[in-house]
Amino acid sequence: LPTRPVDRDKAEAELSLNVKKATSPDETAPKQKHVRKCIVYTWDYHSSQSIWASLRVQPILGDEVQTFKALILVHKVLQEGHQIVLKEAQEQIGWFETCSRTVGGESARGYSTLIRAYVNFVLAKLRFHRHHPEFNGLFEYEEYISLKNIDNPDEGYETIVDLMELQDQIEQFQKLVFAHFRGSATNECRIASLVPLVKESYGIYKFLTSMLRAMHRRTDAMDALEPLRARYNHQHHNLRKFYYECANLKFLTSLINVPKLNHDPPNLFDSPDA
Amino acid sequence: MSSLQNMSKSAMRVGKNYIKGYTDVQVKVRDATSNDPWGPSGQQMNELAQLSYNQNDFIEIMEILDKRLNDKGKNWRHVFKSLTLLDYLLHAGSENCVIYFRDNIYVVKTLKEFQYVDEYGKDQGANVRQKAKDITNLLQDEARLREERRSRAHMRERMTGGSND
Repeated sequence: LPTRPVDRDKAEAELSLNVKKATSPDETAPKQKHVRKCIVYTWDYHSSQSIWASLRVQPILGDEVQTFKALILVHKVLQEGHQIVLKEAQEQIGWFETCSRTVGGESARGYSTLIRAYVNFVLAKLRFHRHHPEFNGLFEYEEYISLKNIDNPDEGYETIVDLMELQDQIEQFQKLVFAHFRGSATNECRIASLVPLVKESYGIYKFLTSMLRAMHRRTDAMDALEPLRARYNHQHHNLRKFYYECANLKFLTSLINVPKLNHDPPNLFDSPDA
Repeated sequence: MSSLQNMSKSAMRVGKNYIKGYTDVQVKVRDATSNDPWGPSGQQMNELAQLSYNQNDFIEIMEILDKRLNDKGKNWRHVFKSLTLLDYLLHAGSENCVIYFRDNIYVVKTLKEFQYVDEYGKDQGANVRQKAKDITNLLQDEARLREERRSRAHMRERMTGGSND
């Protein structure tokens, strides 16, 4: 299937090792090299089944750090893996729910609340993708447009509302992650979960900006768009604050560029090149 | 790294090339993307770009390039130099290079979070991340890539066929 020079048997054997290492019990970020192998695998073979199978085989759920790392791994593979992963993940909802259920109320290292919130977020993301299969995992606008092959934002009102809903979920979850930082620790493992959240929220933000601008260009009923504008502006300020806090986390800025938003939200009545 | 160490390393590479049965073309790619702290030279890259117009040589080049791009953090130079070479091939190599990496863009795209901090605490992954970003953007911008390939070909024509002017 892939045009790359690959060896399927070797890939399968390595994959389960990569899943195992990405979800090791050390309270660190999942190593990117292992996460990357999982992502590349889904593109090579247009499948994520072996990843889910490996996650079930590993004794992950007995340990809160391992469970949390598994969720980070899965989130990244959903974002950057082949489109099929978003579809196949719909059959794994039971596994996510088990993650939530297995962690007790009180846990030694304080991950249980985070795990339940992460599961809630990923399930919301999966619901979104089920209703809007034309989006990729990172909400990349260019790919959406090339897929749809048209630029017709009028049909987008409901999509925009759903996207804003998801953006609010990210906002809730990231706040919880910050609230669970521990003064003494490096918090590396918790910070690692912010990486995919920064990327996803920015993808959604850019998408919303483009869609809303296009709608403003086309419609005569500016009043009808007022609620969307208000909510967009509100989310802009939240995001700006989120990115500002992320920019102060040295570990995070060594991994990705954190976007910097202007103080004021962009004017949706302007065309982007104005 | 001292030059003596480099010498013994390149001697090792010669031995490995022989034992593993790499072809001449593959040895050229391995040399261009080695762990030596210099290169790849313009001459090396140009030669490989020309070779990529031959179908057999193209496949051999891609085999090694793929291995190098997927190498581990410690060998960040392999990855970095492979991206350098890839960038050159996209501009001056055969159309097959473009098609191949558009199909396999995720190999490059997923290097945008490449990490390696060396024993002195220096973030050697930063260069890889930046180059992976640049090449991803180029691959996704069909019009720009077309234009850059055209102007490169035009320039080469003028430089090699200059006597006709």
